[in-house]
Amino acid sequence: MADLFIPILIALILLYALIKGVDAYTAFVNGAKGALPLMASLMPFIIAMFVAVELFRNSGLSAYLCNLLAPVFRVIGIPPEICELTLIRPFSSNAAYVLLRDVFARYGVDSYIGKCASVIMGSSDTIFYVSSIYFSCTNVKKTLLTIPIALICNVACAIIACFCCRFI
Amino acid sequence: MIVASLAILCVFAPSTVVGTMMEAAKMGVSMCIEFIGIYAVWMGIMQVLDDCKLSHKLSKILSRPVQYIFGKTDEETEKNICLNIASNIIGIGSAATPYGIKAMQGLDKGDKRATRAMIMLVVINSTGIQLLPTTVIGMRAIAGSVSPSCILWPTIVSTFLPTILGVLLVALIYKKGKRNG
Repeated sequence: MADLFIPILIALILLYALIKGVDAYTAFVNGAKGALPLMASLMPFIIAMFVAVELFRNSGLSAYLCNLLAPVFRVIGIPPEICELTLIRPFSSNAAYVLLRDVFARYGVDSYIGKCASVIMGSSDTIFYVSSIYFSCTNVKKTLLTIPIALICNVACAIIACFCCRFI
Repeated sequence: MIVASLAILCVFAPSTVVGTMMEAAKMGVSMCIEFIGIYAVWMGIMQVLDDCKLSHKLSKILSRPVQYIFGKTDEETEKNICLNIASNIIGIGSAATPYGIKAMQGLDKGDKRATRAMIMLVVINSTGIQLLPTTVIGMRAIAGSVSPSCILWPTIVSTFLPTILGVLLVALIYKKGKRNG
């Protein structure tokens, strides 16, 4: 069912473009053109994150932290294996993608852990980045409870994600 | 954290440091190349949607709930909020940010403290209301998943429920009408 959804969706989009008289091919090419410059601008950050994450892991610091937190994660129903990913997600998308790829390689894409990691990755966002960008263009100095509320939602998101993954 | 990691490595296994870094950089490059492909496909499809003015249609539908949630704002700001949320839902994140920033500036009255509407907008944006987890599905496909998009409905559930929770929390803590919460 889910496998059909995306192909059908893409077909519908193309059909819609046809009806609207939009040149889908040109639009697609124009959109895809942006991928390389975007990636070129992101690449230094991704590599920096890769290096940082690997150092952090090889030093054993990350394992130590996660062992410390594992009981808490178990209680709220999040597998300890994705503890790192859950913790890093609010700070950096790129670092989280690094960890997601590692989870796929280690536990398999279609394992329960792989699915949980995918859902957490897809359904949350980088809270700290978003709020710093959005507030930086205003006069606001005190963001009040913005970050705490966003973090509560983030934890809720991870719990719901791992719960839902039991059914797929 | 990085300094601490480096310090620990220098004490216990100094010979592995450079090797680890280079290995990591190599993996970084290979992931970037994968990502170029994923982004190219999805950005292409999103551009088709964008050219069809779908986000403008969606933003019209959203305008009533937005009025209800955000309370009174001026027309321009309200339009920006709607477009921001609509672009987020469709998954054109790069289009969502400029609208979001314009909306924030529109909501800015020069106060030092964030207003209720500002907090609401940031919370909605940071809970990620994307309908299609495009990058993740792409990564799953590349990693050889038998069903890359099986994570679709759990992702949608676990993105919308926390967003609703966030909106409720903001609404409860910062009552409507009081400008500075």
